[in-house]
This record gives sequence, C-alpha cells and structure tokens, in this order.
Amino acid sequence: MSVSVQSIDSIAAATEAVVRRADARFDAHREEILRTTDRMFVWLLIGQWLFAIFLALTVSPYAWQGKEKTVHVHVWAAIFLGGAITAFPVALSLLRPGALLTRHVIAAAQMFWSALLIHLTGGRIETHFHVFGSLAFLAFYRDWPVLITGTLVVAADHFMRGILWPESVYGITNPEWWRFLEHAGWVVFIVVFLIMSCRRGLRDMKEMAERGAELEAISENQWRKSSVVDREAADRVRR
Amino acid sequence: MATQNQQARTTQRQDSVGYDRVVLRDAAGKTLQLSRKEFENLPLRERVTHLIGGTAEFFSGGVQVSPSDAMRR
Repeated sequence: MSVSVQSIDSIAAATEAVVRRADARFDAHREEILRTTDRMFVWLLIGQWLFAIFLALTVSPYAWQGKEKTVHVHVWAAIFLGGAITAFPVALSLLRPGALLTRHVIAAAQMFWSALLIHLTGGRIETHFHVFGSLAFLAFYRDWPVLITGTLVVAADHFMRGILWPESVYGITNPEWWRFLEHAGWVVFIVVFLIMSCRRGLRDMKEMAERGAELEAISENQWRKSSVVDREAADRVRR
Repeated sequence: MATQNQQARTTQRQDSVGYDRVVLRDAAGKTLQLSRKEFENLPLRERVTHLIGGTAEFFSGGVQVSPSDAMRR
C-alpha cells in the first residue's frame, strides 16, 4: 500500500471518529435536556396537584345538600382526578426519563391540569393563562411535536367542554359555538413561535457539536504535522 | 509608538479573526473556492476531512489565516 493511500485511509478513519464523537456529544446534550425537563415537570405536576387541593379547599370546600353540609365535589376532583392526572406522567418521568412517550404524556397531563384548574376556578379567564405558561414550559424540551400534542389536547378539551359544560370552561352558560376556535387561535399563535424557538435551539446545539468537531479536526491536523519526536514527547507528557 | 500601534492593530485583527472565504483542494490538486456560508453548509464529514487533511485554506479580507484563527469566530 502506498504512503498516500495509507494517509487517505487514516484521514478517513480519523474523520469518522471525530464525526462520531460530535454526534455523541449532540445526543448526550439533547438527552440531558430531555431528562432535566422531565424532572422539572415532576415537581411542577406535584406542585400543581397540591395547589389544586389548596384551591378547592379555599374556594369551595363545602356544599349543601338540603340541610346537610358535605365536602364539595371540587375537593374530591382536586384530590382524585388531580392525583390521576399527575400519577402516570410522574411515574413515567421516574421510570423512563428522556423517553419520547414520557414527554408526550407530560404534555397531555399538563394540559389536563390547565383544564382542571380552569374548572376549579369556575372558568375564570385568568386561569386560561395557565395554558400559555404550560406551553412555554413544554418548549424547554426543544422538541416541537410535544407542543402539537399539548395544543391538540387543549383544543379538544375546550371543544368538548364548550359543548357539554360551557360554564366549566368559559364561566358562562351560553358562549358562541366557535369560542373554542378563538382560544385555539391564540394557542396556535404562541405555538408557532415556540416551535421556531425549539428548532432554533436544536440547530444551535447541532452547531455547537459541529464546532467542537472542527476544532478537534484542526488539533488532529496539527498533531499529524508535528514531528515524530514531538509526538512521542507529547505522548509521554500525556501518560 | 509605532510598535504600540502595530501591536494594537494585531490585537484588533486577532480579536476579529474569522474567515470569509475558503479554498478547498482535492486529491487531484483541483481547487474549489467557497464562501463561509457555503463551507458551513457542507456536510460535517466533508469539512472535517478537509481540516484533518489540511486541504482547506482560510482567508479573511483577502489575507490567509490559520485554521485555528479562522475557527475563532
């Protein structure tokens, strides 16, 4: 084998190694972001659960059935429905952190939480801001399909409840049938920009990994150009 | 004074070192001139091959710069 062929082969092998390391760096960075965000949602979901129980106990702790005072159904909803919404995504976050299913379940659960909080506050318009906050938190994943899951869940919830129980979602009994489209429109408005931000974030991560690879390649080139004596000395120092 | 000015100029230049043009050489010695954007749009594997093989020459404002200086920005 000629020297130049050997050299081309060794450049190809070094290139392969550098590119593989860049891919690994990118994957590790992404995995870390996914796992960290899963962990963040564990605390957020549990916090929301406690907050909902507090809210139900404060706003409507009791109801009257004739002369009898009973615990209001909202309190039970906050405890049990809230618990059900929280349990599955929290379990997934702990058992399968970073998995695709985990973040989509979290996205759905977060939107169910918006729905429950809106219901518990009697459809207060201010509580609808929880939806926008949740979408912003979901964007931490830098994985835009998660935002689509969240959008579909919240749109479906508004549509269904708007028909079946409008007071629970809008605080009034006879909203226009298209009211859910107005809400969904604002959600789409923010989601478009969050998707752009997610894609940008991912691109930046990719560029960072590639920049690392380029610097590694330059250093490899300098090492190859240095004399054998220099390399041996450098290896001795490294050892 | 003149040395100080020269030093200041060098520092300024070094701070702003990057590249705006790349000349790539293939195995047959043929050259290809690319803008920075075009070079950055090449697949990573190709860029790395040129950097390891030393077949990429970088230029900033018509002056050749070393690959490490070029990659600073």
